[in-house]
Amino acid sequence: MNLERLPNEEKLSLCRKYYLGGFAFLPFLWLVNVVWFFREAFVKPAYTEQLQIKTYVKRSALGLLLWIAVLTTWITIFQHFRAEWGEVGDYLSFTIPLGIP
Amino acid sequence: MANNAEDIENNMDQQQTNTVPEPPQEASVTRARSRGGSGAGGGGGDRGGGEGDVGGNSSSPEQNGQPPAARPPLVVETEEDEDEELTLKYGAKHVIMLFVPVTLCMVVVVATIKSVSFYTQNDGQRLIYTPFPEDTDTVAQRALNSILNATIMITVIIVMTLVLVLLYKYRCYKVIQGWLFLSSLLLLFFFSYIYLKEVFKTYNVAMDYFTLAIIIWNFGVVGMMCIHWKGPLRLQQAYLIMISALMALVFIKYLPEWTAWLILAVISVYDLLAVLCPKGPLRILVETAQERNEPIFPALIYSSTMVWLVNMADTDRPKRNSTEAASPQQETQQAPIASPTPSSPSQDDGGFTSNWISNQEHQLGPMQSTEETRREIQQMPSARPPPEDDDEERGVKLGLGDFIFYSMLVGKASATASGDWNTTLACFVAILIGLCLTLLLLAIFKKALPALPISIFFGLVFYFATDNLVRPFMDKLALHQFYI
Repeated sequence: MNLERLPNEEKLSLCRKYYLGGFAFLPFLWLVNVVWFFREAFVKPAYTEQLQIKTYVKRSALGLLLWIAVLTTWITIFQHFRAEWGEVGDYLSFTIPLGIP
Repeated sequence: MANNAEDIENNMDQQQTNTVPEPPQEASVTRARSRGGSGAGGGGGDRGGGEGDVGGNSSSPEQNGQPPAARPPLVVETEEDEDEELTLKYGAKHVIMLFVPVTLCMVVVVATIKSVSFYTQNDGQRLIYTPFPEDTDTVAQRALNSILNATIMITVIIVMTLVLVLLYKYRCYKVIQGWLFLSSLLLLFFFSYIYLKEVFKTYNVAMDYFTLAIIIWNFGVVGMMCIHWKGPLRLQQAYLIMISALMALVFIKYLPEWTAWLILAVISVYDLLAVLCPKGPLRILVETAQERNEPIFPALIYSSTMVWLVNMADTDRPKRNSTEAASPQQETQQAPIASPTPSSPSQDDGGFTSNWISNQEHQLGPMQSTEETRREIQQMPSARPPPEDDDEERGVKLGLGDFIFYSMLVGKASATASGDWNTTLACFVAILIGLCLTLLLLAIFKKALPALPISIFFGLVFYFATDNLVRPFMDKLALHQFYI
């Protein structure tokens, strides 16, 4: 879909939908929102809806950073302490690597 | 036929502006017109576009309430000249536009086959559609079993195509759309879950359920949004490539060897017949669509660019191609591509549409079978009737089923060939050459063509020739250190 050809209201509506959708545990959607609308929000010359699009992009970026922080923390903890947790670690694991941890 | 197609296209355009079709139907409208704007690979395309423009111009004034006026021949010639130049300018670019995704899909499949052993293991599991085992005592028994398997598969596919044609004839659009939705859902969630599990196992990585759930959920939901709704073009193309690769991997895993080669050959023949014969189901489908002046139901097609009708941009929502994955069982072809794609609404974001019939159905329980894969190449519609909108992008479309079978051929070659990389590369080159030729033919004939036969035929010939003739030759040369 080419953003160039959309009227501005539709761009705003699309941005808003992507922003709202990201609240359903979808940081990837926020990432897509940021990357896709970055040019629209920050590079293009100003137009009426641009301010709102900028807000949405900034908030999506914020939410994305938050999610990245949470996930990185959790993954680090899990990978580091998985072997030591014994049963709980195995229960949480989807795949268990072979060999000595 | 071409003129009919153009008229239908124009009518469909008008229809689209008048109604608000649902996205999948809109998506179907986005099929490339047969008069094909950008003929990839050849000069014929834009010549056809020029003729198409003539036809379009004569029909569009009708829509505008003006009497159809014959164009002055001078203008026609100028347009044709311009179109010819445009064809030359666009021809190679569109071939490349299709080469890249086909190559990417094949690379993903081959890389997975080489690294993740799961997809080459023989677990003894078979699809319900190929019930006869191939590990039999005698060669004759094996040959018989594989022929029976291929027959069953092709029968299933033909039945599904006919069901689809019937559904379409009796206007059960909701059923078709729901089917497509469910099959892409299955593909994006379940198959990618299995794929991820096997990749993690191969690389001995620990993964917890929480992170996995987040990954699969994100991948799936964003995929559904990109494919069935709106999303960035590149992302949609990437998703279509990924689901084609997943499907091809499933095929490679669950089809025994001889059956797989036979199915490839038979499917190519079927593709040829279904699209080109007057009584072929796909042709009937297209003609029905044309009679009704409707877009053909959405199929999964990969389009390389997007085309926008300027005057439609304000009134219509961008239409997307819905994606359907071709399921192993059925790959019925989509209605011939030729006519019905109106240029305007095509929003192709290079999406693949693939008809799916998930082969997991029988494993998971009853599910609806998906549809056909469109294996035809369509050309994107050329500029709309008003010639001033000629600056729209043009692209070429290729059905997802084509991607799946190409990748399946190359993947099978890399999995089972004794010549290994030689054979894989030979098959890869053969398929690309076949694709080039098909695009050339498309530019010349300017109507929907089956994309499978030429490529698969070349691929099969190259595979068997390389494996049985070239490889022993090269081995002997290397053994005796004889350089030629």
